[in-house]
Amino acid sequence: MELRDILHDYLVGEIATDRESLDPGENLLAQGIIDSMGILKLVSFLEDRFQIQVGDAEMVPEHFESIDAVCAFVQKKRNG
Amino acid sequence: MDFSFTPEQLALRDEIAKFARQELNAELPSRDREEVFSRENWLKCARFGIHGLPFPRELGGSDADIVTTMLAMEGFGYGCRDSGLIFGINAQMWSVQMPILQFGSDEQRRKYLPRLCSGEWIGAHGMTEPGSGSDAMSLSTTAVRRGDRYVLNGSKTFVTNAPVADLFVVFASTNPSQGFLGVTGFLVEKERSGIRVPRPIAKMGLRTSPMGEMVLEDCEVPAENVIGQEGLGSKIFNASMEWERSCILASYLGAMEHQLETCVAYAKSRRQFNRPIAKFQSVANRIVDMKVRLETARLALYRVAWLKQTQDEAVMDAAIAKLYLSEAWVQSCLDAIQIHGGYGFTTELGFERDLRDSIAGRIYSGTSEIQRNIIASRLGL
Repeated sequence: MELRDILHDYLVGEIATDRESLDPGENLLAQGIIDSMGILKLVSFLEDRFQIQVGDAEMVPEHFESIDAVCAFVQKKRNG
Repeated sequence: MDFSFTPEQLALRDEIAKFARQELNAELPSRDREEVFSRENWLKCARFGIHGLPFPRELGGSDADIVTTMLAMEGFGYGCRDSGLIFGINAQMWSVQMPILQFGSDEQRRKYLPRLCSGEWIGAHGMTEPGSGSDAMSLSTTAVRRGDRYVLNGSKTFVTNAPVADLFVVFASTNPSQGFLGVTGFLVEKERSGIRVPRPIAKMGLRTSPMGEMVLEDCEVPAENVIGQEGLGSKIFNASMEWERSCILASYLGAMEHQLETCVAYAKSRRQFNRPIAKFQSVANRIVDMKVRLETARLALYRVAWLKQTQDEAVMDAAIAKLYLSEAWVQSCLDAIQIHGGYGFTTELGFERDLRDSIAGRIYSGTSEIQRNIIASRLGL
């Protein structure tokens, strides 16, 4: 399963539960899909699923504004 | 984990308890009834060094570590019966002073922290809005950059210390397209035009701690008053709530210990059916439950202190401690009233005031429900 699909399924299944699908470029922050509680869940998921650590300094819009952005962030973290 | 305290730490706790007992409890029933804030007692606490405990010495503090600070706040809660005063001071320390220390510029630290630590200025924290409470980051207050200034518009409510504050930490959205990550913290001085505190808010408990609304109407704030940088508001808010959740509760420990001792003494001296009521299992068991709650609460809280001292971050543990201690404090008040029977129900003994005050603990700094949500999130639920 592709990273993008894993993230999409997690977000639709656990956070954006009123949505059937999300566009990869859709702004998750502006629409309130990821809010201050949602990001705690998402970060916890990313850390467990991809064995990465997300620091406070990395909680910036560029890393979380869309599925594509989260994908790029996770790939960057995994590549060290 | 090492929970042993040094003789110096224990001496500080006892010293604060003695100071609070001797200096801060006078005329409390009438101040509570009339909702009177005591600026005099606020200054006494500041001069004693409470406001500045964990802050750098060169900025007006005492350089105490977090464990020492929590122990000192425990002593404060043990000696001081005025929960409103304790709450107001904690609100300033953790949600005004600490964000300035952690995220502010050197200039902001030098300008504001000595005044706040000395009691010369009072600080307030404006986050909650009429339309955003537990979902704090869905705020609608905006800040628009115009040259070297920001223009703030919006309103805040349930702002502790607002009616007497000289300085406000205000959160506003600088970039709505970035959702909660587009929120920024500002330092707003009371003297700035465009800021109003229309009316104090009456409440059931913590009545000696003034609370109010705050309205921002084209309030211009210099760009150098941004805390940290644009978009850092969420991080600043979460960090200050974690501190507040951890430290404000330490005073509850002291208050619960004081209640327990009072109940033990009363149960031994009050006689019914030719014996002390302590000899009735139903009374003794209630007191035992108070003791068990106190000691488990103490473990939860000092675990947070240890984590914050060694790892800096304690999100889930701070939520566990906040949830458990605030609920334990309410139950302790109910038990104290029940053990004292009719006397416990009177205003004179103060347990009914404690109970009214304790209810707020389940609501401020994140409700018990939000604490459960945080814990659930960290469990991946």
